[in-house]
Amino acid sequence: MKKWIFIPIIVVVVAVVLVYFFIIRVPKEEIVEVEVAEVDLSATITVLVTDPHIQVVDTWKPIWEAQTGGTIDVVLVPYATLEEKMWIEFRTKTGSFDIACVPVTWLGEVFGGGHVENLEPYIEKYGYPDWDDVMPGVQRITQWMGETMALPYDGDNHMTYYRKDALEVPEYQKRFKDKFGYSYQVPPANWSEVRDIAEFFNKWDWDKDGEIEYGVAFIAAQNSQAMWSFMDVCAQYTTIAGTPSNYTSNIFFDTDTMEPLCKSPGWVEAMTRIQELTKFAPPGLLGYGFSELRQAFVSGNSAIAFDWGDIGIQEQKPIEYGSKVKGLLGYGPLPGAKKYFDRETNKWVEKQHTVNFLNFGGWVWIIPKAAPQKDTAYHFGIYMTNPEHSLLDVCGIHGYTGANPWRWSHFKTTEAWVRGGWGEESVKAYLKAISDILQDPNAVPDLMIPGTPEYYTGAGSSLDVHLNAVLSGKISPEEGCERIYKDWVRITDEKGFEEQKAFYRSSLGLE
Amino acid sequence: MAVASIGRKNVKWAFLLPALIYLMLMAILPLGWTLTLSFTKWHANIMPSPKWVGLDNYKYFLFENPRFWNALGFTSMYVGISVTGELILGLILAFLLSHKFKGRNFFRVIYLIPMACPPIAVAFLWRMMLHPDIGVINTILKSIGLSAVKWTTSVNMAPFTIIMVDIWEWTPFMFLALLAAFQSLPIELYQAAAVDGANSWQMFTHITLPLIAPVIVTISLIRAIDAFKLFELVFGITGAGPGSATESLSFYVYVIGMKWFKLGRGSSISLLFLIILLIFAITLISRFKKVRTG
Repeated sequence: MKKWIFIPIIVVVVAVVLVYFFIIRVPKEEIVEVEVAEVDLSATITVLVTDPHIQVVDTWKPIWEAQTGGTIDVVLVPYATLEEKMWIEFRTKTGSFDIACVPVTWLGEVFGGGHVENLEPYIEKYGYPDWDDVMPGVQRITQWMGETMALPYDGDNHMTYYRKDALEVPEYQKRFKDKFGYSYQVPPANWSEVRDIAEFFNKWDWDKDGEIEYGVAFIAAQNSQAMWSFMDVCAQYTTIAGTPSNYTSNIFFDTDTMEPLCKSPGWVEAMTRIQELTKFAPPGLLGYGFSELRQAFVSGNSAIAFDWGDIGIQEQKPIEYGSKVKGLLGYGPLPGAKKYFDRETNKWVEKQHTVNFLNFGGWVWIIPKAAPQKDTAYHFGIYMTNPEHSLLDVCGIHGYTGANPWRWSHFKTTEAWVRGGWGEESVKAYLKAISDILQDPNAVPDLMIPGTPEYYTGAGSSLDVHLNAVLSGKISPEEGCERIYKDWVRITDEKGFEEQKAFYRSSLGLE
Repeated sequence: MAVASIGRKNVKWAFLLPALIYLMLMAILPLGWTLTLSFTKWHANIMPSPKWVGLDNYKYFLFENPRFWNALGFTSMYVGISVTGELILGLILAFLLSHKFKGRNFFRVIYLIPMACPPIAVAFLWRMMLHPDIGVINTILKSIGLSAVKWTTSVNMAPFTIIMVDIWEWTPFMFLALLAAFQSLPIELYQAAAVDGANSWQMFTHITLPLIAPVIVTISLIRAIDAFKLFELVFGITGAGPGSATESLSFYVYVIGMKWFKLGRGSSISLLFLIILLIFAITLISRFKKVRTG
């Protein structure tokens, strides 16, 4: 056998070892030893997870197994089938998994139906690593009727991303002022400015890379997460910030009558605005799910985008995600509006304002009632989400995990973020944009009552279907809102009017 | 001896029993359970047990729910156009490839590849190829100076995109069956027709078509029933959108049953779907029988 054939083998082995030591392996000082508790940590537990959260489980699984002698079986399912998998377990109670990572928007039915463990006794018995470090908005999404039912893992809210090499160029700012008669703010202060900026930067090569760019991009595909793009706009025109009540920080239902707000002037205005934005967007906008949006925006095709914190993570990774915009992005809170519809007086109020909305709410870990190894599962949950480990998962060191910062400590340690590939200045702006929203005590919580997937968050939901019909121009914004209103009235009646009203009021913190 | 003790009359039941038990467990019981559920309200994620509501679910779909009729309308249009298209293309391909020429076997194998692919893989493959911005098809169109097409995001275009992909996937099935039919035709008839002075077109319309009509009927029926259950392409390519422009009945059933866990409604729409499918199949079979006997 010729000796030279060993050369590539040796090269591959050395490369694997180097990758392991320098990229994959978590530095020892950042691993927290598993605390010995009155529970068999060597038990086998099954974790239900979807992509990209598998990244987090895969990172901590070998370390946990080495420290405890336990075994972790991972069941990876695509997002589209995660919900089915979860509900089949809840109905059949076969104990097919011990702990699962699920989005908060499903929890109205999960918590309301009593399908998961109340974690208060576990917290009391075993403790929880630094609960006060969890931001108030994130604490709120793990609770149901005042009880903690899930472990926090992700702080999710939409934010504004903009291209600094477009919006901050003095020449473009001057041309914009000549055309529209005013100067926009950076980041844009309201949706009227977004509309004009999107029109201005649409369909020309403003970054001089030889390709045509577009004005604005957002998630708009059906059966994806377009509903939250709409809610970004809707929240601003439907209510005003304040302690949650019927007329402040409330965007879904009248809290007294449980009448949907879907055909209120605020909703119709928002539907009209978002439909108009599609004219200043890439031609394939209606095919943009979250993956397509992030890929398109970090490859440099638009001036503004709205998304969770994930674009920021992908921006930092030119090799992994083809980012051509590293260091070129600015970050900000969601735009506000120049007016809102005051339902109390039944009039439009002309006033620049911003409502922070806890969009989607984030992902949490739940332990099903029928889980065979509940205590071990709880320990694995708090092991992954303790302050030290969760920081590595959100800052980019573990790549794109789908988890965004949610502890106060995540915002204080910029050094870890720089190691995750961020620029010092970029990360400060990015973290500020997120923390401004998460620490707002008046941030509007997302809908979390039974039927939420049918009202608006699920595949084929009322808002998803009719919003898409509006965006594609099939029906008018007014008709879209009317249809959603009728569906929501029906869903509320089917689920039980009084029960839904009680759940909704509770979700806003009202008696 | 044992047979004699059981009695000759009962032996047949002894042999039939395993099959009957199997049928009972696998078909009759689930059907009966579904039928029972269809008269109930059961939101399985929040209600511990079903609640009897009589015919409410059927009334809801038939008289109060435009989405059901929209799904039925799209599914019917899709079945009609795609099965017809597949039949015509399959017929042409089978006719061409039934003649001898160099490379015939290569083409026969190539044409079978789409049918061999898993439908969900086909859906995601086409989804990426048809992507309005980064899809290879629009890239090619733009490179030759044509404008990009909104394959999956236009209300008018998306239904025909689903139909186009279905035709791509299932024409090979028609082709394969028709090719076998062509090759089984007796050569003597054509020789006799040639002696009588018939041209190729006359031979095709007066000999070939009547002889392969039973095959055409059978494969059209099989394809139509299968196409009626359209799910993967909708799930993978358009997600039933834009709006509900490409929502098939199967997809709607899936949303109600598996996304919203409304098992009562899900059962009733499934049974409606079954009844529609049976009426469709029985009508087609009886019509084709008439054609054949006529």
